[in-house]
This record gives sequence, structure tokens and C-alpha cells, in this order.
Amino acid sequence: MIEEGNKMTEQESLKLINEMIGKAKRSYITTGAASIVWGILIVVCSLLTWYQVYTQHAFGFDVWLLVFLAVIPQIYFSIAEKKKKNFVSHDEHTMTYLWSTFAICIFILSFYNSKFETDSSHSTALFMLLYGIPTFITGGIFKFKPMIFGGIICWVLSVASMYTDIATDMLFMAACGLFAWFIPGIILWKKYKKQQLC
Amino acid sequence: MEQENFSPHESLQLIQSMIAKTRRDMSDNSIYFLLWGWITFAGCTGQFVLKNILHYEKHYLVWLLVIPGVIISMYLGMKEGKKREATTYIGDSMKYLWMGMGISYFVLSAILSTMGWDTNVFPFFILLYGLGTFISGKLLQFKPLVFGGLCAWAMAIASAFFNYDYQMLFAAAAILASYIIPAYMLRSKDKSAIK
Repeated sequence: MIEEGNKMTEQESLKLINEMIGKAKRSYITTGAASIVWGILIVVCSLLTWYQVYTQHAFGFDVWLLVFLAVIPQIYFSIAEKKKKNFVSHDEHTMTYLWSTFAICIFILSFYNSKFETDSSHSTALFMLLYGIPTFITGGIFKFKPMIFGGIICWVLSVASMYTDIATDMLFMAACGLFAWFIPGIILWKKYKKQQLC
Repeated sequence: MEQENFSPHESLQLIQSMIAKTRRDMSDNSIYFLLWGWITFAGCTGQFVLKNILHYEKHYLVWLLVIPGVIISMYLGMKEGKKREATTYIGDSMKYLWMGMGISYFVLSAILSTMGWDTNVFPFFILLYGLGTFISGKLLQFKPLVFGGLCAWAMAIASAFFNYDYQMLFAAAAILASYIIPAYMLRSKDKSAIK
């Protein structure tokens, strides 16, 4: 920790801020672990739903309940991360609120879909719209282009899904999971591992 | 050039000043919040009056108000673009946040236009009002925006229990709480800070 009496040059001060940004990056998105978990779950659930629609063979349970499984590793990562850190940066707070906001909106949207009995094609489009928001903003805040690109893909597929059948919608949803979370997560994971080796 | 020295405390002050500068920029740009806030408020209340009190069949025409809104925003945007100053890191984050929200409103409108504008469209918009303002409030550490976002979500849930006609009034109240009031408060805070 830097002592109060130590003076830093302007450059050192800016370096400190950049390091804080860097640390926030590492703890939230640079490891990519959470992103990979979410990506895999969305891809798997979408493809299982696609299989059910395509083959007209129902599994007898709602495959989307598997998404709740992601909460367990998410909590584990958060607790493990908290133990390692001695400070919380402004960006980390922002990311916490951004993704918590996303969770709240997903919850409210699910409530709307059951309350309004929204057509499944429309509800898929609305979910993809929501997927794009935190992904695009996170990518923008951290200047991480794969996530900006992933967010845009979610929005494009959201609009496109309005003109396709539900089976195709599920393939679009899988593509969202792949481009918004899984691929950016893999890129971040590789970078993180490379940094650890250095 | 002589190098300026900062203590860690001063460095933290620098970050705080970044937040303050972004707030000032946001206050300068609050015209957009107010413009769209009032257009939406007028649209919602106007449609309610036209549909339920005057029983005018083409009540949705009130939303043509959006067209001058777009023109004014484009004009202001071009004018602003010419005198753009350096932005802070937080200012950059705000830029991506509102760029994302702008695209989302557009995508939501595209989805809802295929669902039909006479269905439950307002709760979806209220949900997004809350999202944008809540995150802005957290980024700028400005409580009225955070509170406005929370109010909007509460109204987003409550509106689902009412029919289309009353959902408009919830949307008007949500825009008042999440855009209009916080924008005025941001302006007055900025003015008093300058004094």
C-alpha cells in the first residue's frame, strides 16, 4: 500500500488509475470465467430447446431452469474474488450494478412474459435485446471490442428473430450466448493465463 | 515542463474530480434528458387524454411528437460535436451506456411494432427507463438518478397489473421520476456548485 506521505508524479498518478482500471478488468472480465459459464449455459439451453422444437420431442422439464445452475459458480467466483482483494474500485462497483441491473431486468421480463402470455418468438427477441445491453456497455467501458461486437450481434439477432420461426430463434439465441459471452470469455481467459505465466 | 507531484490522496481527488466533471458535462447535456423526458411525458399523458377523455380514435398520433424531438436532438448533437472538449474515463462510460440505451430503445420499438402498439408496450419501456437512469446514477454517484431508476422499476412491475390505458400514466410518472426530476436536480446542483 502507498503511504500517505509518498509523492507521485503526474505520470505515476495516472499509472495508478490505469492499474486500478486494470485490476477491475482482471477481477470482472479479464479472467472470463463467469462469462464462459454463462455463455455455455445459454448455448446449451438454446440448443436443447431447438432440439425439442425440431424433433417435437419434449424432455418433460423446462431446460431453462438450468440457467439457475450458473448462479452457484457465480456466487463461488464472487466470494473467492472478494477474499483476494483489498479494495473495490469505482469500475467494479459500476460492473456490479450493471450486471445486477441486468439480473433484475431479466427477472421483470420473465414476469411480464408470464403475465402478458407473450408469444414465445417475441419473448425470445426481448431476452436477446436485454442480453445486448450489459454486454455492449461492459465492452465499451473496458474498451473490449469482442464484447461490443457481441452486444451488437444480440441486437441484430433480436430484430431478425421477429421474422423467423421459434426453432431458428433458438439457434439465434445460441449464437448470442456464443458471441456475447463464450467467445469473449475464452479470449479473456487466454489473456489471463498468459499474464499469469509472465 | 515541470512535473507536478500528487499524493495518493490527491490521486483519489483526481478520480473524484473526474466524476464531478462528468456530472457537469451531464448537466450541460441534461437538455437531452429534459427534451426526451418532456416529449415522452407529453406523449403518454396526451394519449391518455385523447383516448380516454376525448375518445379520439387516432390517439396514437400524439407520438408524432417524436419527429421534432429527433430533429432537435440531431441539431443539438451536431452543434455540440463541433465544440467537443476532452472527455473523462467516466464520461466515456456514460457515452457507451447511453449509446447502448439509444440502440435498445430503437430495437425495442422494432420488436413492439410487430407485436402491435395497442398491446402491453409501456411496461417494457418503463423497464428500460429504469435501467439507464439507475446505472447512470451509480456511475455519477448521484442519488436522485438511482432513486429515479428504482421508482421506474417499481412502476414497471405495478403497471403490469393495469390495462393499457392506465399503463400510459405509469409511463408518464416513471419518466417524471427517472428523467425529468433528476435532470432538473442535476442542473440546479451544478448551478449552485458554480456559485
